[in-house]
Amino acid sequence: MDISEMFETYFERLSEVAESEKYKQCLQCGTCGGSCPYGIASPFTPRKMILALRAKLIDEVLESGAQWLCTSCYTCSYRCPSQIPLTDAIIPALRELSLLEGNPPEELAAALMNTARYGNPFRESPRKRDSWVKEVEFEVPLISKKGDVDVLFIPECFGAYHRRCREITKALAELMYLIGIDFAILGNEERCIGDLTRLSGEFGLFEDLMEKNIKTFEKYSFNRIVTHDAHAFNALRREYPKAGFEKDVLHHTQLLYENLDKLKDMFNELDYTVTYHDSCYVGRRNGIFEEPREVIKAIPGVKFVEMKRTRENALCCGGGGGGVWLDSFIRNYLKERPAEDRVKEAASVGANVIVTPCILDVPMFEDALKMTGLEGELVVKDISELVLEAIKG
Amino acid sequence: MDEETRIGVYICHCGRNIAEKVRIDELLDFAKTLPNVTVVRDYKYMCSDPGQKLIAEDVEEKGINRVVVAACSPTLHENTFRNACRRAGLNPFLFQMANIRELDAWVTESVEDATEKAKAFLRAAVNRVALHEELEVGKTKINPNVLIVGGGIAGISAALVLAEAGVKVYLVEKEPTIGGNMAKFDKTFPTLDCAACILTPKMTAVKAHSNIELLTYSEVEQVEGYVGNFRVRIKKKPRYVKEDLCIGCYECVEDCLFAEPMFPSEFEMEIGKRKPIYIPFPQAVPLVPVIDPNTCMWLTAKKCPQYCREACEPDAIDFNMGEEYADVEVGTIIVATGYKPFDAARIPQYGFGKYENVYTSLQVERMLNSTGPTGGEVLLANGKKPERVAIVHCVGSRDENYNRYCSKVCCMYSIKLARLIKERTGAEVYNFYIDIRAAGKAYEEFYKKAMEEGVYFIRGKVAEVTDIAKSEEEKGKLVVVAEDTLLGRVRRIPVDMVVLSVGLEPQEDVDRIRNMLKLSCSADGWLLERHPKLAPVSTAAEGIFIAGCCQGPKDIPETVAQAEAAAGEALSLIERGEIELEPNISFIRRERCSGCRICIGVCPYGAISFDEEEKVAVINPALCRGCGTCVAACPSKAAQQHLFMDEEIYAEIEGVLL
Ligand SMILES: Cc1cc2nc3c(=O)[nH]c(=O)nc-3n(C[C@H](O)[C@H](O)[C@H](O)COP(=O)(O)OP(=O)(O)OC[C@H]3O[C@@H](n4cnc5c(N)ncnc54)[C@H](O)[C@@H]3O)c2cc1C
Ligand code: SF4
Ligand code: SF4
Ligand code: SF4
Ligand code: SF4
Repeated sequence: MDISEMFETYFERLSEVAESEKYKQCLQCGTCGGSCPYGIASPFTPRKMILALRAKLIDEVLESGAQWLCTSCYTCSYRCPSQIPLTDAIIPALRELSLLEGNPPEELAAALMNTARYGNPFRESPRKRDSWVKEVEFEVPLISKKGDVDVLFIPECFGAYHRRCREITKALAELMYLIGIDFAILGNEERCIGDLTRLSGEFGLFEDLMEKNIKTFEKYSFNRIVTHDAHAFNALRREYPKAGFEKDVLHHTQLLYENLDKLKDMFNELDYTVTYHDSCYVGRRNGIFEEPREVIKAIPGVKFVEMKRTRENALCCGGGGGGVWLDSFIRNYLKERPAEDRVKEAASVGANVIVTPCILDVPMFEDALKMTGLEGELVVKDISELVLEAIKG
Repeated sequence: MDEETRIGVYICHCGRNIAEKVRIDELLDFAKTLPNVTVVRDYKYMCSDPGQKLIAEDVEEKGINRVVVAACSPTLHENTFRNACRRAGLNPFLFQMANIRELDAWVTESVEDATEKAKAFLRAAVNRVALHEELEVGKTKINPNVLIVGGGIAGISAALVLAEAGVKVYLVEKEPTIGGNMAKFDKTFPTLDCAACILTPKMTAVKAHSNIELLTYSEVEQVEGYVGNFRVRIKKKPRYVKEDLCIGCYECVEDCLFAEPMFPSEFEMEIGKRKPIYIPFPQAVPLVPVIDPNTCMWLTAKKCPQYCREACEPDAIDFNMGEEYADVEVGTIIVATGYKPFDAARIPQYGFGKYENVYTSLQVERMLNSTGPTGGEVLLANGKKPERVAIVHCVGSRDENYNRYCSKVCCMYSIKLARLIKERTGAEVYNFYIDIRAAGKAYEEFYKKAMEEGVYFIRGKVAEVTDIAKSEEEKGKLVVVAEDTLLGRVRRIPVDMVVLSVGLEPQEDVDRIRNMLKLSCSADGWLLERHPKLAPVSTAAEGIFIAGCCQGPKDIPETVAQAEAAAGEALSLIERGEIELEPNISFIRRERCSGCRICIGVCPYGAISFDEEEKVAVINPALCRGCGTCVAACPSKAAQQHLFMDEEIYAEIEGVLL
């Protein structure tokens, strides 16, 4: 593409995202750059990207690779005084160009390619999506068999295939079973929900996945969707309705909170000092702050401590927006990754368990614990793992 | 009127404004065909003297008794032509304007359409004017007393101008002392002169002036009436100390059960402490203590021997005081209720309330003030002087998440604080800004001086303040993170103290004031002036003026200018002695009124009452403002409005539609 074509493609995409026109009102104040976990390392902070767009230097931005230095944490968008949708529009539209130009970082390119082909980024067979079901001792029904249910449970790709994340899926399923929730799964009919795809700039693929998924949902009768994948939660709640999807979507922290009275009766004491990490897509982006805290605090014996950067201002784990596949790319720019910074913070407030509500956090933080040598001091648990542990003793 | 209706029609070219779109000749011919039209003329500028003379001549020579001018908007020249009629001996309300400029020539594309539209407007006006009646303009006397709400520098300045002119002023201030925000400052930009030195003499002058009745710790509760005749009810909160007996000796404060001050002082922005009985600051006016009912041991729990009362020689302390009301009558009102500072805790990433060395600008103003809690020194929580200080501009301003607007004074006061902090502590000072707004007399020079003195200016809005150290240098410090947008690099600056330059916001109770006085406000909540350029201190409500920061952020020079302008406007009304009332008020056709009382409920001015004997509604012409709400609401068509009678409106509509 020559520059003018690039511009045309770019602004066409921008015009499809609500409020993106606001980039024209950028004050060049730098709040975004100062807030960004990669700001210190990026050759083009969001502010400078906008400046470059104004100066028609879009090619220079793409060459610098800055468009991949974003974990879609929404901190910049949240703080931007002009309310410019940086995370939803300015950056992913640049990524789209970069994909079209054919030079995205390799790992990410592979993940996107796999998603298009297999419906998951791991190049796994769709038939293995529900293989975790065989590893639990209770029955996890398929919605196609069970018919009418209250809850459709979506483990999403990480929860279905990733070795560590499957443990979380199993814990949450067991909790639902113990509480007595009427739930079922789609089994191998489930397909990637696609939020990471969208924020990686593969808008077309995202729309395709969304369309197919909505068709699948329409086949079955259920009241609401529950998922422990914060990114799937975000897309189902904020993007899918734009395509006509109307069902209630709950994050598992909300479901646990809703059933807190029942859970309380089952709790045993746990001798932990726990801190809670506000994941971007649960907290800052979707405003869920209190529910998980209430659940954790209800476990007897648990000492709850807050980190310094909490709620809207929590630091990202670095996994979002395709970040899980950009690890080696980002290392070229940054010495300390956000996840490492974050686990150090958790340790500094005296926690020995860091509880998270987003499925990507667990592998990201466990890796960071190894890198920082904090492995002995601190463990990472998803909130459903902590709750199950409190029940089983 | 028995005499034959003879209408004169005058068509204005307005230079080329109208003439280039509307075919004047065709319109002239058309006018001649309309009923009762006796004279038809056109002229280049009807509003000019010769234009107006045409009307007078025709009244005299041709016996014209109704006038229609087809020209611009009535808001512009209705009064011009009404006066022309009056001078010609015609009742000014036997006149109607057809707007063929703003509503036609300026907004219609083709000459064809514009000419047709002009015909319709003209026909409507001719139809209507034939039905007009002669109306008399009522007059009302202006009560020469003035109410001023708010005793900041705006209220004080206006009060003194008026009082000096011999006018009786009621100055109502909700706090225990006057002075407003200015009383908190140590020095003021751009001259760095001491705030107290210029403010205190004015405050004492207010207290001393025989024409000013000062009501502190009081609020306006209710306002009724209209320009020239407002009835105002003022609530005086109990101070528990009698102002007329107290001599300001501080004996009661000294002897209070609480030996040490231990409650956060409102005046000190919570960084200083006070007792339950206190005087906000040494130059307070009136210099009379107030007892806080929420902390006094007697008032909360009846558990105190009332040491304060024992200590008081003149026996001024009175625990039986309750709320009192004062009713006053005034002719004009000046609203000068100022602003409230933005609540910095709303931006959690700046750490206010979380880190002890993050302060707001007003707190630092208090530290700098020699009567403040640190005796004029800028100190950290540990009592030491800071070696590095960051000043964060635009806190809560120019930010769509909070307030969109620029608070205008904070750039300048941030530069002031930078210079004062540097002078008192020798610290390195960093100002983080988006743009420096230093537009004012001697302001740029003030900014340059700060640079010359070594204040650092970093162009970038602060992203966050944190105590998470990333290097040795940052340990134990507050780290200010911002993108230095000129350098193109994110910087982390470790400092000892952070000062948040909070913006200005409308007062908490602005809506109550606004509704009580029937004022409007802008989208941001500031009280709205009648015209942003040409009527900056008048409001939509006749006889009510605004001054100072209640109208929008501004500095002291501008505040005082507005206050004195508002005083001038009030004086102008008072000097006039009486004002004319618009005759387009409503009335009830008694014979039609069914007594349903619907109109009474809808009138926003409380102008309608019920005649119990005759069982009909009655409108008080002195209170009616001619809004027409009752006319629309009346199911019996009994409520009618002069100049907007049903027949007149129908005739006009037919004229447009035919
Ligand atoms: C930190 C800071 C530093 C500043 N430094 C400077 C400076 O150096 N130089 C400069 O020119 N400007 C400065 N300013 C701006 C200055 O404060 C304003 O221009 C000025 O105070 C405006 O005066 P005002 O009378 O309109 O409002 P205010 O000072 O706010 O006074 C309003 C008064 O009305 C009273 N009131 C409010 N509501 C009611 C009610 N309902 N009934 C009765 N009374 C009521 C209030 O209690 C108050 O006493 C600074 C502002 C800030 C925040
Ligand atoms: S925070 Fe918003 S306004 Fe400020 S530079 Fe970034 S994009 Fe522009
Ligand atoms: S979304 Fe997060 S990572 Fe991406 S640019 Fe904004 S602040 Fe940086
Ligand atoms: S009554 Fe007691 S506590 Fe209250 S002000 Fe007087 S001395 Fe102080
Ligand atoms: S005056 Fe300066 S500090 Fe205040 S809001 Fe405007 S630009 Fe920001």
